[in-house]
Amino acid sequence: MRHRLRIGDLLALALVTVVLVVLVGPIVLLAMFSFNDSTIISLPFEGFTLEWYRTALADTGAREALRNSVVVASIVAPACVVLGTAAAWGITRFRFRGRGFWSGLVGAALVVPWLVIGVSGLVFFVFLEIELSLVTVTAMHIAVTFPLVTALVSARLVRFEKSQEEAAIDLGASQLQLMTKVVLPQLMPALAASLIFAFAWSFNNFEISFFNGGYEETFPVWVYSVLRRSFNLPVVNAIATLVSVIQVLVVYALYLFIRWLGKRRGSGDDLTSLVSGGIR
Amino acid sequence: MSVASDPLVSESRLGDPPPAGRGAKPGGRRARWLPASYLTVPMLVLVVLFVIPMVILFLISIGLGVGRQESMWSFDTYTGLFTDPLYRDVAVTTVLIATTAMIAQLVVGVPLAYVMAFRSGRFELPLVLGLVVLDGLNPIVRIYAWRILLGRNGIINGSLEWLGIIDKPLDALLFNEAAVIVVLSTSWLTYTVIPVYASMKAIDANLFQAAADLGAGWWTILRRVLLPLAAPGIFVAVLLVYIPLFTDFATPTMVGGTSGYMLGQAVNDLILGRGDLASGAAMSFILLVCSGIVAALAYRLSRINRLET
Repeated sequence: MRHRLRIGDLLALALVTVVLVVLVGPIVLLAMFSFNDSTIISLPFEGFTLEWYRTALADTGAREALRNSVVVASIVAPACVVLGTAAAWGITRFRFRGRGFWSGLVGAALVVPWLVIGVSGLVFFVFLEIELSLVTVTAMHIAVTFPLVTALVSARLVRFEKSQEEAAIDLGASQLQLMTKVVLPQLMPALAASLIFAFAWSFNNFEISFFNGGYEETFPVWVYSVLRRSFNLPVVNAIATLVSVIQVLVVYALYLFIRWLGKRRGSGDDLTSLVSGGIR
Repeated sequence: MSVASDPLVSESRLGDPPPAGRGAKPGGRRARWLPASYLTVPMLVLVVLFVIPMVILFLISIGLGVGRQESMWSFDTYTGLFTDPLYRDVAVTTVLIATTAMIAQLVVGVPLAYVMAFRSGRFELPLVLGLVVLDGLNPIVRIYAWRILLGRNGIINGSLEWLGIIDKPLDALLFNEAAVIVVLSTSWLTYTVIPVYASMKAIDANLFQAAADLGAGWWTILRRVLLPLAAPGIFVAVLLVYIPLFTDFATPTMVGGTSGYMLGQAVNDLILGRGDLASGAAMSFILLVCSGIVAALAYRLSRINRLET
């Protein structure tokens, strides 16, 4: 029995190691080559340089693409938190005609592939003769991302003790007071996670930005087009490394923030339960 | 991240009535407008930017004129796509690649979820966090990272040459179906593992001990206890991952070459390459219908299974 257990543990360790190497390895290599003193991305290493970072930060295309993505995501994320939370509240707390239909529609927006949504947006704007730009990208991002917030927030709302809300109402709280004093404070961890995930969804989105951006490129579209032309590659490495480091730090900060909130309130909310709660 | 629409409908499925909110209070006249005040704007956004574009997508695929073009209603685009042997081959390749990638992810992801849920002890949280962080990275950047690894002058070729195992670089590493499968699998693994992990977290670990005490071997435990209880999570994973897999177009474009050409690329090439809006719209609409079928199947299966377990 004990012998068997050890084999199991070894297998588990091997599995986790292999998965981590396969998932993380390529990214680490990408980062390493951003410091390689050569214009071609291949072995052997020619020496250490920060040249590519200097070039990347001076590259107008890269800077513009990054700025575009940050601007779009900064509009999309808060808008999605507001819309998504309102929709979650409306769907989980009220009983009305067509409730199933509307919640199904929110779910459908999450299941329909981004390629199809991107193309449908493209033909929609072309048909209406609206010029494709960052505005159309932002609009489409909001439409596909707020359902994610609705899913995350509804998962929390369904598990709430409703006695507090009922007590607030019975004590004469208005809808506004109910929201600001009772509901939103309890939703804080889910809202923080929603804000970050919505930002990431928008920032990372390729298909919708690609089809709806016209001549305006977001960061993923810029990377894609530079890679298709296959030049300036070390600059892509440098900027991709920078962006990835920031993304890792932001998700980690979110984890710390939610843990801190959980400790202060003594509630069992953590990132894991939030993420898995949204799926269950 | 977490994506299933499940929580939205779960309570009605469980049979108890939707929570009686303020709106449901007897005699409350507010019941009429309160839900509307929360829902009008979000649902308007969905109708205008999600439903109507889909309708227009379909209308354009059957001949709605764009701009100065006159409308010419017909299903020719569909018959064209369905009878073209090129697209039949592409469809076969796409289904093969997507299915293989899905199976590969389940083969790795289900054991990984099990290890995370029951065997990893204090490493459980870092592992979950690691998967979430990895998923937060830009997908295009992750595809590019694989190109660096597999490319002609890439790390694998470079190392093999340096070790003297091969004389000239292997071209077979990149620009084929295998590369697409590997890259797709690693891109979506987080979405496969997390739902399965979530459903496994809900399993009482004592069940395994009980089954073992009753004389069940590991294979019986796996087949009769673990998999049935984890099945809803597995179906959610399929729902979340399989649809994006067969509609992906960035991955095959960047690492697929000609043999890894997929339907997603066909949409892109029809619209942006050939400027054939109608055929591109038709192809997108076919993909939409396929996603609907996959979603309905996965959803049905996950619910049936929940009733049985």
